[in-house]
Amino acid sequence: MTRLILTRLLQAAAVCAVVATSVFVLLQYAPGDPFAASLDGTDVPPSVRAEWRARYGFDLPPTERFTRWAGALAHGQLGYAPSQHRAVSAVLADAIPRTLLLVGVALALGFALGVLIGLLQARHRGRWPDRAIGALTLGGVAMPEFLLGLLAMTWLGARWRLFPVAGLVSEGDVAAWPMWERLFDHLWHLALPAGVLAISVAARVARHQRAALLGVLSEDFIRTARSKGLGEWAVLWRHALPNAIGPVLALLGLALPSLVGGAVLIEKIFGWPGMGLTLFDALLARDYPLILAATLLATLMAVVARTLTDIVAELVAPRRVRTS
Amino acid sequence: MRRLVLVLLCLAAACRGRDATGASGGTLIVSAGADAETLFPPLAMGSQGRAVIELLYDKLADIGPALNTLGDAGFVPRLAQRWEWSPDSLTITFHLDPRASWHDGRAVTARDVQYAFRVWTDSAVGAAQRSSLAAVDSIATPDSLTARVHYRVRTPEQFYALVYTLIPLPAHRLEALPDTALHDAPEMRAPVGSGPFRFVSWTPRARLELAANDAYYRGRPRLDGVVFSVAAQGATVAAKLFSGEADFLEQLSPPDFAQLAAHADVRAQPYAGFDYGFMQFNTRDPRNGARPHPLFGDLALRRALTMAVDRATLVRSAFDTLARTAIGPFSRTQWTADTTLSGIAFDSRGAAELLDSLGWRIGKDGIFRERHGRQLAFSILVPASSRPRQAAAVLLQAQFKSAGARVSLEQVDFNAFLDKAQRGSFDALMGGMRTTPSPRGVRDVWGSPAPGRGAQNSGRWSNATFDVHVDSALAATSTDAVRAQFRVAYQAAIDDAPAIWLYEPRMFAGVHRRLNVGTLRPDAWWSGVVNWSIDPSQRLPRDRRAASTP
Amino acid sequence: MAARTWRRLLDDRPARAAAAVLACASLAALLAPWISGYDPTLQPDPVTLRLVPPSWQHLMGTDPYSRDVLSRLLHGARVSLGVAAGSMLLAATLGTALGALAAVVGGWVDSFVSGLVDVLIAVPRLLIVVALVATFGALSPWWLVVLLGGTGWLTTARIVRAELRDNLQREYVLAARALGATKWRITWQHLLPAVAPQVAVAAALALAAVVPLEAALSFVGLGVQPPLPSWGNILLDGADYLTSAWWLVVFPVTAITCTVGAALVLADRLRAAIAGEEQAS
Repeated sequence: MTRLILTRLLQAAAVCAVVATSVFVLLQYAPGDPFAASLDGTDVPPSVRAEWRARYGFDLPPTERFTRWAGALAHGQLGYAPSQHRAVSAVLADAIPRTLLLVGVALALGFALGVLIGLLQARHRGRWPDRAIGALTLGGVAMPEFLLGLLAMTWLGARWRLFPVAGLVSEGDVAAWPMWERLFDHLWHLALPAGVLAISVAARVARHQRAALLGVLSEDFIRTARSKGLGEWAVLWRHALPNAIGPVLALLGLALPSLVGGAVLIEKIFGWPGMGLTLFDALLARDYPLILAATLLATLMAVVARTLTDIVAELVAPRRVRTS
Repeated sequence: MRRLVLVLLCLAAACRGRDATGASGGTLIVSAGADAETLFPPLAMGSQGRAVIELLYDKLADIGPALNTLGDAGFVPRLAQRWEWSPDSLTITFHLDPRASWHDGRAVTARDVQYAFRVWTDSAVGAAQRSSLAAVDSIATPDSLTARVHYRVRTPEQFYALVYTLIPLPAHRLEALPDTALHDAPEMRAPVGSGPFRFVSWTPRARLELAANDAYYRGRPRLDGVVFSVAAQGATVAAKLFSGEADFLEQLSPPDFAQLAAHADVRAQPYAGFDYGFMQFNTRDPRNGARPHPLFGDLALRRALTMAVDRATLVRSAFDTLARTAIGPFSRTQWTADTTLSGIAFDSRGAAELLDSLGWRIGKDGIFRERHGRQLAFSILVPASSRPRQAAAVLLQAQFKSAGARVSLEQVDFNAFLDKAQRGSFDALMGGMRTTPSPRGVRDVWGSPAPGRGAQNSGRWSNATFDVHVDSALAATSTDAVRAQFRVAYQAAIDDAPAIWLYEPRMFAGVHRRLNVGTLRPDAWWSGVVNWSIDPSQRLPRDRRAASTP
Repeated sequence: MAARTWRRLLDDRPARAAAAVLACASLAALLAPWISGYDPTLQPDPVTLRLVPPSWQHLMGTDPYSRDVLSRLLHGARVSLGVAAGSMLLAATLGTALGALAAVVGGWVDSFVSGLVDVLIAVPRLLIVVALVATFGALSPWWLVVLLGGTGWLTTARIVRAELRDNLQREYVLAARALGATKWRITWQHLLPAVAPQVAVAAALALAAVVPLEAALSFVGLGVQPPLPSWGNILLDGADYLTSAWWLVVFPVTAITCTVGAALVLADRLRAAIAGEEQAS
């Protein structure tokens, strides 16, 4: 276990270093800088933009800029984000909790739902409920998330007004509400974006879970359990699932980066300014310090998530059980 | 499960709706497509930032409803109660309103005006509109309520340039900080202003809240507060208005209009627009700026291509009735606009004949024209962030095809677009200009590339007649003289076809029916917010605000 | 063994249905210039024929520029499926090559390739593509193939490396090597064909991943350039008219969902066939 954690930590460090360098090198070729858009107007002479570039070191040679940034990073300073006029740490401090909440809730919900659906399918394998649910999960995986989000926002939000269209909290006298009401309001705003992501996750998890369960159900120890007279649900829940959940957990760890990526459009549509949207906007604004810091952090989060899911998988379904 | 949620929601709503009446004036929620990048006045360029800043801060005087920029006709007193001109017009003395105060209680003094001027003109601050204040030499403060502005030179718009740009800043709060540290100082993320609304909170990229200034010297605004609610996706911005989560939207797009019919509580309010869109030709070779463009260096070809475009159909298709055909390098709302100018009319036969006479003949494929083995082909640079420009570009592409030109579109993000435009690496681009009340911007955008002019002339178009008459216009002192000079200049620009003038969008704001809104000023829809009100009988639960804390 | 796996697949009904769907889509894409009634870029009348609902003249209606949606869908299939197929092939080839390299050569090459895979897997793919598009500007479909293929080989490489490493330890391989056959020869002649079904699974999954990615890219305006139609393009035009012009969204979404769904079913059944074959042997 400790060896796993240690190797993963080393991996994380190496990965982050490589990603940071690559992103930096790549961005050298990107035209533009963060000041172009904000300084565009009939009254703005190019000399003003040149001044801003000079002030933030955008006219330095790339190698020098990189060493400066890396040095600052070693001292724990993430730098300044010109496109947002505030420190990078402030930007990330705002964005990370929102993404963690969104992705966390979506993953948890999707995972739970997916496992249950997979179990349901395994219970009725081969019969029409299995096929019907299978078609639904197929649709859930095949449909692009952003489209699901747009449809949900337009119909459930704007037309039928069941959920808020966008934003983090409601308008009005929010500060005066009791704690439970504020929490509920925040969750109500989270419902649509997290729900859309959760559907996507659940569909994938359900398909993998079903396959894993069916794979396990043909094993000897299952036959032994059945011959002892255990009911089908008991067999599934107590014997099949613990052995089948490992691969699904591992899948979750691998799926995190694509979830963060897919969340970009969901964050954009539902006005939930998290890490994905921040990174996306920073990329388009050529805001190097923010891009580098955000990419590093996203990578770190992905590696940590993978390690955590691997640890959990190991705890829940140790290898020796799975190979029996 | 859903029923439980609905019950809980009803309970929550009922609890919130407890106190819907009362003396409070309601809250205006503006659905915004972008966040205010900064609240530091010298650096605020986007309309979002300007809206917030002009609600937080008052200027010395406000431009009149006629948007006149010559002399001081029509200007309405704000922080400056009255002003006097010296006989030689090189000095204007502003007398500040003794009742004007900052949100922290301190009085607005002449020192604040002087400090603001210093900050604005400090090159280390990098204020975007520094050049507007170039004619001002210094500001003296004979006493705490008198600011004497000394000009280096007389110009017809000297009053407008100073008053429209310069926003007095609270010197007592800011002067301790070095100028370069101002823009990201904590003070600037919770600014203290002198305007009708004071700052409450700002969640970047999400929402920005302002509350009514009870001590506002011209009378407390009728609204309790204003909230700017940000959404990054165009569809979401409109959806918030339609779902009742917002009251106001600056501009309804053509697809939004289709949805208006389905939502009875939202109406469209028209106001004059200040924008115009065009397709600009690059008159220089993108690979070598010293040489003329192989295609567009030739006036005849530019005119031929302009003739080939049916602008009326293009505007009708892209905007339905929500835009008019542009005439020239100006917006009809500008006071120097002239609708009698003669443009290059749509004439597909004439265009074909002209192209034939230039040697561009239909090639072997029967579609595209060729000359000396080269096809008539070019690319149009389009910013992916602007749907109207994208739509116009796609329509133009088809129209050029029927004229025999092979056009490809290059869609890039806005940053890359600006970069390429500035470096001149494009054949043609889809441009859009938001004009200001003053017509002087036309010199920067369409004037010949030379020191002091043409800084934004991406196409590097140069025309001596245009330059001379624009200069004369900007030096003339009577409205008739200015208009006459601009007439000649505009006509020269239209005839020389540096661009195809395409559309002038009509502005329609999306307004919730419970909101009483006066006329919307084209350059600043927010200028009347201090007078907006919400009918007490139509308050919503979300109008309640927390008890104001100073 | 691989041959038997393929045969199992052919006998499988869902797999046949899925393959048929994909074949239909590919056929429609290939024959697009001949079967679509209109030129997909033709704007006959951008004012009066704008946003016409489905009718006999336009089976899937027209878009905001009066272009026929059905023709655009068919031509868009060329681009979307072409990009997907191209990137799938590139990803499969790259993945197999790198996975084989890592397994056969071993040592530092193995560490390098595995490390590279670990790095790239941690970064969200959409953002990589956005970064590259922001850097290099508007992309032609060929470059999209390179971009998407170049970021999609990771799972294939992992699978190939794992399988080859396992098999290279098997008895019959060691015996063959003792008789003088090189590792490469064995890999090429026996092991790679054996691992082909799993590569096919990864390829089908790669296809299923690329189509929505291209749609997402076009949705933010950074994908295929007009007037070239792609399914994502049509969606972008239609996103503004979600409630009024339903045909702009329903048809491309159905196309995307069916194609991706078919690829996923194929991958599933192939996996089942592999598992079935492993059990039987």
